[in-house]
Amino acid sequence: MADTRNKPGSWTRDIAMMMGTYIPGFAKPPARFVTEDGRAVHGVLAEFKTPAEVYHAAEKVRDKGYKRWDLYSPFPIHGIEGAMGFKRTKLPLLVAAIGFTGAGLGLLLQYWVSAVAYPLVVQGKPYGAWEPFVPIMFELGVLPSAFAALFGMLALNGLPRFHHPLLGQKSFWRVSDDRFFICIEAEDTKFDAQEVRTLLESAGSTNVELVEDDA
Amino acid sequence: MSQISTQSSPDAAMDDHAYQAVLDRLATEPALADDNITLTSAEAAGVSRLLLGLGVVGLVIAAGGFALNFRAGFAAMQIGLFAVTAIALGALFFVLVFHITNAGWCATIRRQFENVASLLPLCMIGVAVLLVVELATGGTLLRWLGTDYEGHHLMVHKEGYLNPTFLVIRFLVYAGIWTFLAFRMRGWSTEQDQSGDRWLTRRMRFNSGWGILAFALTTAFFAFDFLMGMDFRFFSTMWGVYFFAACAFSSLAFLAIVFAWLMSKGKLQGVVTSEHLHDHGKLMFAFTVFWGYIAFSQYFLIWYSNIPEETMFYIFRRTGDWALLSKVLIAVHFLIPFFLLVSRVPKRNPRFIAAIGAFMLFAHAIDMTFIIQPMVDAGEEKVIGLSSWWAIAGGVLGFIGIFGFLLLRKMVAVPLTATKDPRLPLALNHKNYV
Amino acid sequence: MKDPDQINTERLAGMGTVALAQTGDGTLIEDPAIEAPLVINDREFADVTETVCGYAEKPAPLWWYAALTAASGAALMAMIFIPYLIITGVGVWGLNNQVDWAWDITNFVFWIGIGHAGTLISAVLCLLKQKWRTAVNRSAEAMTIFAVVCAGIFPGIHIGRVWMAWMLAPLPNYNAIWPNFRSPLLWDVFAVSTYATVSLLFWYMGMIPDLATLRDRAQRRIAEGKAMHLRLMLPTGKPLDIKFINMDKIRAFGYGLFSIGWRFSSRHWHRYEAAYLILAGIATPLVLSVHSIVSFDFATSVLPGWHTTIFPPYFVAGAIFGGFAMVLLLLVPLRVVLPNFSDLLTLRHLENMAKILLVTGMMVGFAYAMEFFIAWYGGNEYEWSVFINNRANPAEAPYWWSYWIMISCNVISPQLFWFRKLRQNPTVIWIVALAVTIGMWFERFTIIVTSLHRAWLPGEWHMFWPTWVDILTFVGSCGIFLTLFMLFTKFLPMFAMAELKAVMPQASPHPHDEEGGH
Repeated sequence: MADTRNKPGSWTRDIAMMMGTYIPGFAKPPARFVTEDGRAVHGVLAEFKTPAEVYHAAEKVRDKGYKRWDLYSPFPIHGIEGAMGFKRTKLPLLVAAIGFTGAGLGLLLQYWVSAVAYPLVVQGKPYGAWEPFVPIMFELGVLPSAFAALFGMLALNGLPRFHHPLLGQKSFWRVSDDRFFICIEAEDTKFDAQEVRTLLESAGSTNVELVEDDA
Repeated sequence: MSQISTQSSPDAAMDDHAYQAVLDRLATEPALADDNITLTSAEAAGVSRLLLGLGVVGLVIAAGGFALNFRAGFAAMQIGLFAVTAIALGALFFVLVFHITNAGWCATIRRQFENVASLLPLCMIGVAVLLVVELATGGTLLRWLGTDYEGHHLMVHKEGYLNPTFLVIRFLVYAGIWTFLAFRMRGWSTEQDQSGDRWLTRRMRFNSGWGILAFALTTAFFAFDFLMGMDFRFFSTMWGVYFFAACAFSSLAFLAIVFAWLMSKGKLQGVVTSEHLHDHGKLMFAFTVFWGYIAFSQYFLIWYSNIPEETMFYIFRRTGDWALLSKVLIAVHFLIPFFLLVSRVPKRNPRFIAAIGAFMLFAHAIDMTFIIQPMVDAGEEKVIGLSSWWAIAGGVLGFIGIFGFLLLRKMVAVPLTATKDPRLPLALNHKNYV
Repeated sequence: MKDPDQINTERLAGMGTVALAQTGDGTLIEDPAIEAPLVINDREFADVTETVCGYAEKPAPLWWYAALTAASGAALMAMIFIPYLIITGVGVWGLNNQVDWAWDITNFVFWIGIGHAGTLISAVLCLLKQKWRTAVNRSAEAMTIFAVVCAGIFPGIHIGRVWMAWMLAPLPNYNAIWPNFRSPLLWDVFAVSTYATVSLLFWYMGMIPDLATLRDRAQRRIAEGKAMHLRLMLPTGKPLDIKFINMDKIRAFGYGLFSIGWRFSSRHWHRYEAAYLILAGIATPLVLSVHSIVSFDFATSVLPGWHTTIFPPYFVAGAIFGGFAMVLLLLVPLRVVLPNFSDLLTLRHLENMAKILLVTGMMVGFAYAMEFFIAWYGGNEYEWSVFINNRANPAEAPYWWSYWIMISCNVISPQLFWFRKLRQNPTVIWIVALAVTIGMWFERFTIIVTSLHRAWLPGEWHMFWPTWVDILTFVGSCGIFLTLFMLFTKFLPMFAMAELKAVMPQASPHPHDEEGGH
C-alpha cells in the first residue's frame, strides 16, 4: 500500500471530490492510499453484532481523535451522537427559514390578488381583511417546509448517491438487516490501515476488511 | 416503606416479592434522597410570606374597584378567580391525561400537577361566594338573574336552563365531580408513596377514563354558565373548548414556574431534568398553538357568517378600548409565545421557561379580561372600559398570590414527586433523542 | 415450542417467580410495573426483516389475487362512470336545485377524513412518543394517500366542466379575473393538495431505509446465485413459473432507484430523525388545518345545521375516528391471513387503537351534544328545526334513519370498548370498526343533505335520492382505494422495519442498564 498524501482533509479538496463525484469531466483528486494493484482505498470497515458493541467501539474511535469515519446501523441508535461526538444538525433552522418565507409570500400573494390586482367585494368583507388569508397562508408555509425538511436532509447527507464504495462491499449489505459497522476512511489525516485495523479488532469487531474505491 | 399490598390479580406478571426488589432499588436511588424531594416549611417560608403579602395587597387593590362601581370591583375579583380556577382545572386535566395514556415520562412531574389540581375545591369555594353574591344582588355580571330582561323572548325560551335553582344545582355537580377527582387523584398517588401498591396506578387509570369524560362535559357547561352566560343572548358551540384551551395553556405556564422555582431551590435534581422541562415546554408550545387554533376558528366563523346574534360578541370587543385589547390578546396569547417556544433552547433552560411561563400567565389574565371585563359596561351609562385596569391587575395578582400561598402548603405536605410509581424508573431515565 | 404467553412473561418479568398471564398473546399484561412488548415471540432483528420483506418478496398467495380482482373490478366502476358523468353532465347524479351537494361531497369528506388517520398515527403519535405506532404507521400512511386520491376525485368531477379545473390555480383567467381567495372552496384546493403532497413526502421518507433493505436483500440473493424468478399463482392453486424474468434484478433496480443510495450512516440517521421530527411537527397542525378547512366549507355559511363554531375540532375528531376505524378494518383481517403479522401487530396494539376509537367517538359525541344543546339554547327556531324536523324526529324528518344510523354507529357502538374483554377481541373490534366507518359516512350525509333539502321556504323543499351512477361511482372509489392498498401490501414494506427494530429491547446500546433506553 502506497501513501500519496496531498493536503488531506481540506475543504477545497472536499469540494473537488464532490465535483469529481457528481459532475462528469471533473477528475477526482488522487486517492491518499492505493493498494498494491493500484486501486484507491476508501477505508477500513469493521463489523459488529450488537448495538452495545458498536456503541462502545464508537466511543473508542472518537477518543482516538479520528474525524473522517462513520457508524452504520439498521436503525438509528439512541445516544450515538454523543458516542461519536458530532454536533446537532442545522436542518431545523433551514426549514424554519423556508417555512416562514413561504407563509409570508402566501400572505402577500393573497393580499395582492384580493386587494390590488383584482379587488372585488365578496360577502361584504373588506378587500384586505386578514382573516380569510390565514388558511392558505398556513398551507403555503407548510408545503415548502416539508420539501425543505426532506430535500434539505437529503442534500446535507449528500444523497442521492448510488455508487458509494460501501454499497459495493458484500459484507456491508447486512447493514440493512441486523449488522452494525464502523468505517474509518482513508481521507482521515490520522489514517493508517494497520493501526485502524488493530483498533477496531481490539474494540471487538468480528470481521475487519479493507474497502476499495472502484469508481 | 413498610408493608406491601397483598392484593394480587390474575393479570399479574410479577409477584409482589419481585416488585419489592424494584421498590428497593428505587429506595436507594440517590436522586430520590429525602432532602432532594421534600420541601420543608422553613424553605418555603420566605416565598410563602411574599405570596401571602402579594395576595392581600392585590385583593385590597382589587377591592378599590368597588369605588368605581360595584360591577367593576366584582369583575376584577372574578377575573382573578377565574384565572386561577382555569389553572387548577388545566392541572386536573393533565393528571387525568397522564394516567389515561399510561405515560411514563411524567411520573416525576405529576405530583405538582396533583398539588395544583387539589386547589380546585378551594377555587370552587370562591366561585360559590361569587354565585351567592350574584344571587343576592340579582345579577351583577350574570345579568339574566335580575329583572332587567324579564319577558325577553330569549329569556322565556331559555327559562328551563337559565334559572337560579338549576344554576345552583349545576354548580354543585361541577364542584362535586372536580373535588372528588382532584382529591382522589392526589390521595391515591400519595397513598402509593406510603404503601408502594402498584395496583393503585391501575385504579387511577380506570378513574381517569370516566373522569376525563366528566371533565369535558363539566368544564364546557361551567364555561357556558359562568362566562358565556354573562350575555344570555350569546352562544357558541366552541365556547367550552375555548375555555378548556385557556385552562390547559395557563396550567402549563404556571407549572413551568413551579418547576423552575423548585429547581432553583436545589430540589428535584436528577428527578425533573431539562429533558422533562423540554417536554413540558413542548406541551406549552402545543397548547399555545391549540389556543390559537380554537380562538381563531371561533372568531373566524362568527366573523365570516356575520349573523347578528353571534357577531355582537366580537363587534363589541372590536370597538372602543376593547379593539386594542383584542389585538394585544392575539400578540401575547399566540404570536409571542409561539416564537418564544418554537426553538429547542429556551425549553430546556429553567430560567427561560419560567420567564415564558410568567408571560403566558399575563396573556391568560388578558384573555380572562377580554371575556369578562366588557360585560361590566353592558347596558350602563357610565363606561368603565379598561380604566379599572389597576383593579384587574390587583385581582389577578391577588388571587395568584393566594393560590401560590395555598399551593406551597400542599407542596410541603407531601414529597415533591411520586416516590413509588411503577413508571418512575422510566421517568428518571427520560431523555429526548434527536 | 413454548406457549408465547409464557415466553414473554418470563422474559419480561426477568426476576422473581412468574405468574402466567391467561389471556391473549402475552401483551395484555395489566401489571403497571411491566411494559408490554411491542414485538412478540422473541423475535430478532433478522426475523423482522425476514417477515416484513417476505410479504413483498414471496409469490403472492391466491387470496391476494382474489382480493385484487374484486377490488379492481370495483375500481372499474369508477373508470366507467366518471367518464360517463363527464361526457353526459352532472344530471346523471341525483342532485337537484335544492340539494346541490350530496353524495359527491359526502364521499369527498368521507375519504379525506379517512385520509387523516395515517398522518395522525405517524405524526401525532410520533410526537407523543407512542412507540406502538411503529406497527401500524406504514400501512396507515399508505391508506392516507390512497384515501386522499379517492377524495380528490369527487370535488374534481362534481364541478361538471372538469377542463375548467385550472381556474382553481392562483392564475388570472382570460378575462384577467383572479380566483377568490376569500372562498373556502379555494382554501380546500390548497389544503388538500398540500396535504396530499406532504403525506406523500412523509410516507416516502419513512420508506427510504426499508426500500434500501429490500434492495440489499435482492443484491445478496443475486450475489449468492439464489435470484428469484417470477412466480404467478394459477386459480387452481398451482404455481406458474416464468423463469426468464429475474425478479431480483428488477427489485435491485427498482428498490435501489427509490432508496437513492441510502447507506444507513449514523450521520445520515441523525439528520433523518431530525427531518422526520420536523415533518411530524408540521404535519400535525396540517392534519388539523385540512379537516378544519373542509369544515369551513360548511361552517362559514349561514345555513342552519352548517354554521356552528365547533365544526373545526369536531371535524378533526371525526376524521381521526373514521381513519382509525379504517386502519382497523384493513389490518385486523391481515393479522389472520399474513404469516407472523400478529407478532408485530399484537393484541395490545389493537386494544390501544380500540381505546382511541372510544376516545374520539366520545369527542364526536360531545360535539353532537354541544350542537344539539346550542341549537336549542341559541333560540334560533330554524337551527332547532334542522335538528328536530330535518334530522332527529322520525315523525317529521324524512332522513331520520340517516341521523340515527350516525348516532348508533358513532356514539353507541364504541361504548362496547369500555369493557376490557371486548376491546381485546379482534372480531368485536372489526365489527365496531365497520360500524364506525358506516356511521362516519352517514354523518357527512346527514350534515350535507339534511341541511340542504329544506330551505327557508317550503316551496324550495326537495328530497335527494341517489341514482345508480351515484352509487356505482362511490363503489368505484372504494375499489380504487382497495386496489391501491392491495398493491401496497404486495410490493412495499408494510411495516416500518427500521423504526420497529429501534423500539425492540435489543436495540438499546446499554442492555445491562435495566431501566435504560427510552
